Amino acid sequence: MIEKLPLATRSTLLMASTLVFGLVAYLMVLQKNTIESYFVTPVVMLFALHLFFATSWKVTRVAQIVVFVLVLVLGIPLIGFANSLYLQVVVTICIFAAMALGLNVVVGFAGLLDLGYAAFFAVGAYLWAIFGGSQANNFISGNLFPLNGNLVFLFIPIALFVAAVVGALLGLPVLKVKGDYLAIITLGLGEVIRVLANNLNKPINITNGSQGVRIAPNPENSPLAFITVPLSQATNIPFFQMQLTMYYVLILLVVIAVILFTTRLDNSRIGRAWVAMREDEVAAQAMGIPLVRTKLIAFATGASFAGAMGVLYAAVIGFISPNDFNFERSTQILAMVVLGGLGSIPGVIVGAAIVISLNQLVLVEISRVLQLINLPPRFDPTQYQQLIYGLILIAMMILRPKGLVPAVRQPAKLENLEHGELAKGVK
Amino acid sequence: MSAELFFGLLAPTIVDGLSIGLMYAVIALGYTMVYGVLEFINFAHSEIFMVGAVIGVELLTAVLIPTGLHPVFQLIIAIVVAAGAAGILAVAVERFAYRPLRVRNAPKLVPLISAIGMSLLLIDVMRLILNPANPNRPFPSGGSFDFFTQTINLGFVSINYKTMTVFVVVMLMLAGLVYLVNYTNLGRGIRAVAQDQSTSSLMGINVSNIIVITFFIGGALGGVAGVLYALKYGVASPVMGFIPGLKAFTAAVLGGIGSIPGAVVGGIILGLLETFAGTYLPLMTNDQIGTEYKDIVAFGLLIVILIFKPAGLLGKAVAEKV
Amino acid sequence: MMLLNVNKARKVFGGLTAVNDVTFQVPEKSIISVIGPNGAGKTTFFNMITGIYKPTSGEIVFDGQNLIGLRPDEVTEKGIARTFQNIRLFGAMTTLENVLVGRHTRATTSFLDAILHNKNYKQDERAGLLRAKELLEFVGLLEKRDELAANLPYGEQRRLEIARALATNPKLILLDEPTAGMNPQETESTKHLIRRLRDEQGITVVLIEHDMRVVMTISDNVTVLDYGTKIAEGLPHEVRNNPQVIEAYLGRGAAAGEFGKTEGGEAA
Repeated sequence: MIEKLPLATRSTLLMASTLVFGLVAYLMVLQKNTIESYFVTPVVMLFALHLFFATSWKVTRVAQIVVFVLVLVLGIPLIGFANSLYLQVVVTICIFAAMALGLNVVVGFAGLLDLGYAAFFAVGAYLWAIFGGSQANNFISGNLFPLNGNLVFLFIPIALFVAAVVGALLGLPVLKVKGDYLAIITLGLGEVIRVLANNLNKPINITNGSQGVRIAPNPENSPLAFITVPLSQATNIPFFQMQLTMYYVLILLVVIAVILFTTRLDNSRIGRAWVAMREDEVAAQAMGIPLVRTKLIAFATGASFAGAMGVLYAAVIGFISPNDFNFERSTQILAMVVLGGLGSIPGVIVGAAIVISLNQLVLVEISRVLQLINLPPRFDPTQYQQLIYGLILIAMMILRPKGLVPAVRQPAKLENLEHGELAKGVK
Repeated sequence: MSAELFFGLLAPTIVDGLSIGLMYAVIALGYTMVYGVLEFINFAHSEIFMVGAVIGVELLTAVLIPTGLHPVFQLIIAIVVAAGAAGILAVAVERFAYRPLRVRNAPKLVPLISAIGMSLLLIDVMRLILNPANPNRPFPSGGSFDFFTQTINLGFVSINYKTMTVFVVVMLMLAGLVYLVNYTNLGRGIRAVAQDQSTSSLMGINVSNIIVITFFIGGALGGVAGVLYALKYGVASPVMGFIPGLKAFTAAVLGGIGSIPGAVVGGIILGLLETFAGTYLPLMTNDQIGTEYKDIVAFGLLIVILIFKPAGLLGKAVAEKV
Repeated sequence: MMLLNVNKARKVFGGLTAVNDVTFQVPEKSIISVIGPNGAGKTTFFNMITGIYKPTSGEIVFDGQNLIGLRPDEVTEKGIARTFQNIRLFGAMTTLENVLVGRHTRATTSFLDAILHNKNYKQDERAGLLRAKELLEFVGLLEKRDELAANLPYGEQRRLEIARALATNPKLILLDEPTAGMNPQETESTKHLIRRLRDEQGITVVLIEHDMRVVMTISDNVTVLDYGTKIAEGLPHEVRNNPQVIEAYLGRGAAAGEFGKTEGGEAA
């Protein structure tokens, strides 16, 4: 029905609808007493859904920009000031979207099933949690820690690099073996990292074992506090909320960068080599593509994204423990990629948004509704996340293996050449 | 550590390692047989193992103990029922989650992801059934089941009846499997399908049937291993499958995936190695390196093997047809 | 000068000797055919040259460099390209992209270049597109450049495989049954294309071929394999009249006159 409307009408309608939903959502969130209402979350989600409409429907560029500004620049921060839960969810979605985009390079582009992806996430998260909190004082003398929060910006590239190196070192022996084994070996490696995180509290206490590591959420430990502290004083918004908004802006930029990077890789010599390898390894190798190296690049790229997002995750959440990086985490990220569509950049973002909002909003709401009918706690859906991931994986593979938003590769075109270079014979 | 302590622990460590290794071997057989026939890692196999364990324990607790039969008979009944149920479950999983994908010739990644999904699904369904607040099901103890805590002294080492049971049951199963695969028509069919599906079907072998039977046998072996595992460690729970499943797969790769003797050899090596690591690492490092590191030793071994002998210890390198 | 020198190459699979001490030489800018009955070891022989199989023993020297122990991609980098008996295109990619993949070893875009879209990336992509355009024109597929490879008709898929192989800038190209399954017109145009590979591109060609009309008309030299062993070698008409060759193809006592008409099209 929407598709039949003329472009201008459709675009105007979308903009108007975004504005209306935004206002209603904001007002509902502002009314503190309606927070308990069952309608707030659905309305906020519908508001955010306009982003998806703006990208998937044919609308004018202006309408797209208006919707993006309304939702991402105005709506989410304002709603976030009123109720930080929603902002927290959005930040989490962004972190996981960036990470899932990294896994997408490995699984979607290169066709390598990596089930230990959370391990690289752990590498980044522990790097920042240990040095950005006071944990490092346990093994480095001089009471130098916690480090200044602004050093996060140094740790992001460090984690990027360290995770890439760890990925390459682990990948090198693994990627030589048959593709089938890769899944199970990466699963084993994920376990190894978790065991290390759990046990490296002796002989020297590096990871604090199963207790996990905490970063105190004060301004000294927070990046860009020199902006957020005065801002929060000027606006009377609590520091932690202002800081969360700052993280939101930061992570949004990171997601945009990751989208840009992966799109460019996809459309380059390297991306073509990945697709070729996925299609037919023997032919790809015969065309001069070194299999191990090309796989390794994919593996290390994915790892480095996870490492960088790990740093931000530790900074935002302020507490990590080995259980944040278990097999369930790896499958959660895989579910995002599979749900959205293997190899599909917009799909993976949609997948991350669905999985995280399902976990943190929808299931919570459903369980609240179910409490009304006094359902025994045993049937509380929030405890069955793995069941949901499992169902997603099976159902998608059987019913829609290309995902909700199937990948559309932008193939290279001769038309990309400049005008004069297209000799006769080419239209 | 003193030499006395070192040698004193040697025999019990070997016995323990062997019994764990044999259980890995039995689970590994499930992976390896399915892989041999379909070139597919049945990820949900570790959960079939778990379901077998839970069914066995529940059956003992709820039905068999009240009968007052001798515990050995009770255990035999529990094992048989668990094996049957696990086998049927494996066939059902194949039917619903894998076959639709195989029929349409999907890329390899697709059934693998579906299998992972199945594994997650089974864990949580079992949690739902058992009640997530208290999902652990202890293996019966006390009363007549004290029988299994008795030990026999062989002079250099004493072995308890639990471990003995593991040895006896695994040996019987291995003997049965070797007979089945090598000396029966069915076994010949399985071997033929493993070698070449299309030729086998031209020779009149019903390939789908063979696949179903292979899943059933693999699942049943997993179910038996589950009950034995619960007996040895005293508990069954929805999450018990993950680590043994991973280890068993490691064992299968170690021995050479697709190879039945390979799975047994791989399981035994892995079981011994990790038990030794688990016992001696903490002793030698004054508890600075804990028992948990045995998992790292196991996976480290896997990586080393794959670098130097990618086809596994008893596997044959197969050149891809171009 | 010899471009490729294979000396006593042998490949044993288990108990089976697939290629038995074959010595084989390819002069520069020649067209050489390798023929033989089904299962004679021709494709295995190609697979040894291209690094897919490592020879059990023997030497393979290309352009003065030893090829033994190199991976297939390294062999391609040295300047040997190939096509496959049962076409192996990247079906989900367009015709143009298939050719671009062939240019992989000659392209210079690094990981960082690709992310930064810098000058090198732009120049390299441009060079790749120009080269691809040239090659697609050469094989007559320019109009089909944006179609998915999987959707091309059979004959065009074979030609695309040749264009993709050419994109690796080879000195030597190995064609595994380039006319298999083609009708007479397609076969004729492929024959013409193979000649042009040498005459226009200056590339040496070795082909495995079953269609004797093709073999006899375009080859400078023919090598015959049977049960992995080289049983004859020489000019096309010499090989055609070689009694050993006739026997290998038709069995003992067969009439020499029938040879050359019965072969064609079937896969080895």
